[in-house]
Amino acid sequence: MSILATQRRSLIVSHTLYDFLAPSLVQTIRTSRVRQCRRCLSSTSNAPAAVASDASPNSSKPKKPLSAIQREFLNRALRVNQAGELAATLIYATQTPPIVNSHPHLRPLMKHMYDQEAGHFGTFNELLAKHRVRPTAMYPVWTFAASTLGWGTAIMGREAAMACTEAVETAIGGHYDEQVRELVNMVDEMERQGEEVGEELRELTGTIRRIRDEELEHLDHAVDNDAKEAKPYELLTGVIKAGCKSAIWISERV
Amino acid sequence: MATKTRPLRLYSKRFYHSYDHPAPGGPFPAIETSILRVSTPHIPTHGFTNTSLSLGAQDAGYLPASTNLFPRGAFSLVHYYLYTQRLALAAHTNITAADAVGENGYVMGVGGKVRALVWERLMANKAVVHRWQEALALMAQPSNIPTSLKELAALSDEIWFLAGDKSVDSSWYTKRASLSTIYAATELFMTTDKSADFIDTREFLDRRLGDVKVVGGAVGSVSQWVGFTAHAGINVLRSKGVRI
Repeated sequence: MSILATQRRSLIVSHTLYDFLAPSLVQTIRTSRVRQCRRCLSSTSNAPAAVASDASPNSSKPKKPLSAIQREFLNRALRVNQAGELAATLIYATQTPPIVNSHPHLRPLMKHMYDQEAGHFGTFNELLAKHRVRPTAMYPVWTFAASTLGWGTAIMGREAAMACTEAVETAIGGHYDEQVRELVNMVDEMERQGEEVGEELRELTGTIRRIRDEELEHLDHAVDNDAKEAKPYELLTGVIKAGCKSAIWISERV
Repeated sequence: MATKTRPLRLYSKRFYHSYDHPAPGGPFPAIETSILRVSTPHIPTHGFTNTSLSLGAQDAGYLPASTNLFPRGAFSLVHYYLYTQRLALAAHTNITAADAVGENGYVMGVGGKVRALVWERLMANKAVVHRWQEALALMAQPSNIPTSLKELAALSDEIWFLAGDKSVDSSWYTKRASLSTIYAATELFMTTDKSADFIDTREFLDRRLGDVKVVGGAVGSVSQWVGFTAHAGINVLRSKGVRI
């Protein structure tokens, strides 16, 4: 027991020293958040888990509270996802009339993509309400920006609209991919620690993975419909991608 | 100076609310909680003061001087009171249930539930209302204002959540802001209310909620009209062959 206690103490000491002496080091590592999660789990869970298993060896696996970092990650992830799906829904909604007017054969495709985005938006709206996550304060700004973007690119023509879809879905797909990776890491870590993961996190991982695949499918549709032939292609996609990245950055925070 | 040396864990930031992995306890550590819990019954007689705290410390089996566990002094008692009363709202399952029936015999909507929950929260102050101005004075001290405002925001968030409100757009902010102002105003009104069963407070609350409903309804109607007109205009132009 005393060995355990000293071990714990040294772990805690090293933990605080590490944070205190080298905060910049922690931040510069790209995967810092995952590592921090691991650190939190490994430095705090040893003793309580052991105690719990001593007290009731036949009970099911312990359910530990999520660490502050994990909760902040989920908080940000859900907020930014809702903002993204709001924008996507509006982009397709405003693109559809001009595009369908000039290219009636695209009507089913536009409707299909819009319906999927509306479904994603509904999913995240429910998740936000259920988990008491604050929606982004930039809601009206994104509403306006996304409507303008969708309408503007649709006026520029089919290729520009498809290039817009391509740029947006590339940024969003990559972003979802990062989230899935982090969630899988989180779940793996919990399993390795012998904790109960619970349906909530597994379902969330599944949902985000499914949505990511659907977004990437839209990307394929856009490329099939001559997105690459949009006229200032590099400029258009570059600007939209940069816009998406900054919007993601902002929505995670406010 | 004391506040610099040993701050309480003031406020756990509200994050993702997990059902599988519920978040650990509140902003107060165990010993502080045990003292604060037994200090609360002293509030009606001794108010939100250090006297209540030291009496509580004695009741909990500590020295009266243990109040130096609370660098913010009597405000810790106010904060604990606000925190526990906020969490106690969840116990009103007769209001928060999906098919809860209101006073008029109909199933309550979100608005009705908000009104009922605000009233329950105000009635929880009944026993200490003659001392409440002390608490308000402590809450209004510059160093305590951030915590007080966060507690107020957390209360209106809790009320909207318990009432079953699911809006996650800009109205999330306006709803919480308007409920916070209404609650703060009504609470202040209640401290001077001498009427039987706080009937005046009840009417005051209903008038404030009514005001918000009128203003919110007007804003909603105007924006609906603007949206409809803009859509109709665009569609007229499209029907004329304009490529927009």
